Amino acid sequence: MDDPVADLLIKIAAQDRAAFRHLYSLAASKLMGVLLRILNNRAESEDALQEVFTRVWLKAARFDADKGRGMTWLIALSRNLAIDRLRARPDHVSDDDAMSAAPDPAPRAETRLIAAGEARRINDCFATLEPDRAEALRGAYLSGLSYTDLADRHGVPLNTMRTWLRRGLLRLKECMGS
Amino acid sequence: MTELPIPPHPIPPRDEDDVLAAEYVLGVLDLAERAAVEMRLGREPAFAALVTRWEADFAGLNDDYPDVPAPDLMPQIEARLFPQPPRRSRFGSFWAWGTAVATAVALVAYLALTPPTPSLVATLAADTNTLRFEAEVTQDRLTITRVAGSPADSASSHELWIIVGDNPPVSLGLIDATSETISLPGIAAGAVLAVSLEQPGGSATGQPDGPILVTGVLAGVLAGA
Repeated sequence: MDDPVADLLIKIAAQDRAAFRHLYSLAASKLMGVLLRILNNRAESEDALQEVFTRVWLKAARFDADKGRGMTWLIALSRNLAIDRLRARPDHVSDDDAMSAAPDPAPRAETRLIAAGEARRINDCFATLEPDRAEALRGAYLSGLSYTDLADRHGVPLNTMRTWLRRGLLRLKECMGS
Repeated sequence: MTELPIPPHPIPPRDEDDVLAAEYVLGVLDLAERAAVEMRLGREPAFAALVTRWEADFAGLNDDYPDVPAPDLMPQIEARLFPQPPRRSRFGSFWAWGTAVATAVALVAYLALTPPTPSLVATLAADTNTLRFEAEVTQDRLTITRVAGSPADSASSHELWIIVGDNPPVSLGLIDATSETISLPGIAAGAVLAVSLEQPGGSATGQPDGPILVTGVLAGVLAGA
């Protein structure tokens, strides 16, 4: 399958600096969208973007094109970094503020960097869950909400939210057929 | 696809790892739980494969992240990863002033840039973190001191790394005490020091597995004067 990001990551693993710059021009705006959505702070997101690309250079050899698409790997790396930073914030800023400031955008038409079939598949599976459970899963993934944030938002005890969401994940796994 | 009934019993043990992997990918765990998962990722390929599969499953949601124009941060990123070797003399252009002046200046430059005891310093910090270390190299020995923030808790450890030029990070060991001194011969200005959050005992893979907490670049003590 055509995967320009994967091709660049393989070159970067071989210390190709031109490929590294090319990847920045290709992927920086998408990854900025990910970081800003989770961190909800422009300066912190720009700092995180530098850290993301530093890690890309250092860790590109760990990318395995047989196991997934290049953009999926980059977004996973960016989300992990942003969520670690969010959880490490000393004041743990309320994510409710972040959510009201950054409402869910309408889903865009898929870009050529993201596998088209995947979006349909997970959205079909979300449709088999109760709407509030699907909404909790989507909010957690996109905005980096913690169990505590989700319990507050849905007005349920923390353990209820945990049980709820874990059962939702098992059902999702069943539906995704893996 | 029909809706499956909610099981009245707890989640079967065989699914526990799968759900934990999903929770990690989803991002709902707290920092200590995330660190525990990241520790397992480096050690357990089967568990890592579950995480990879959930990443692929959830990737369908990635279309919902909008593109946001990013400034060109490549100069800062490259400066961090590929520091230029220090120039031999920063006073070269002064030669035009005349032999006497140039000789005097060159002598000063010689004394300044090749002192008998090389001395480098770095501050390791990050905007998003209260953790802060001061590092200094004196006579091939690196001393790193935590001057702000807390030590790693019992479920994790702080690991010190050095990155020289294009080379991958090299571990300099764990930072357990407030201050550690490490033998580090032949190090030059421009090397990057970083502290990452790792499993107790440090990274199992020889490369940073956990998040990089703070970084700093070693600079000659005269560079900022």
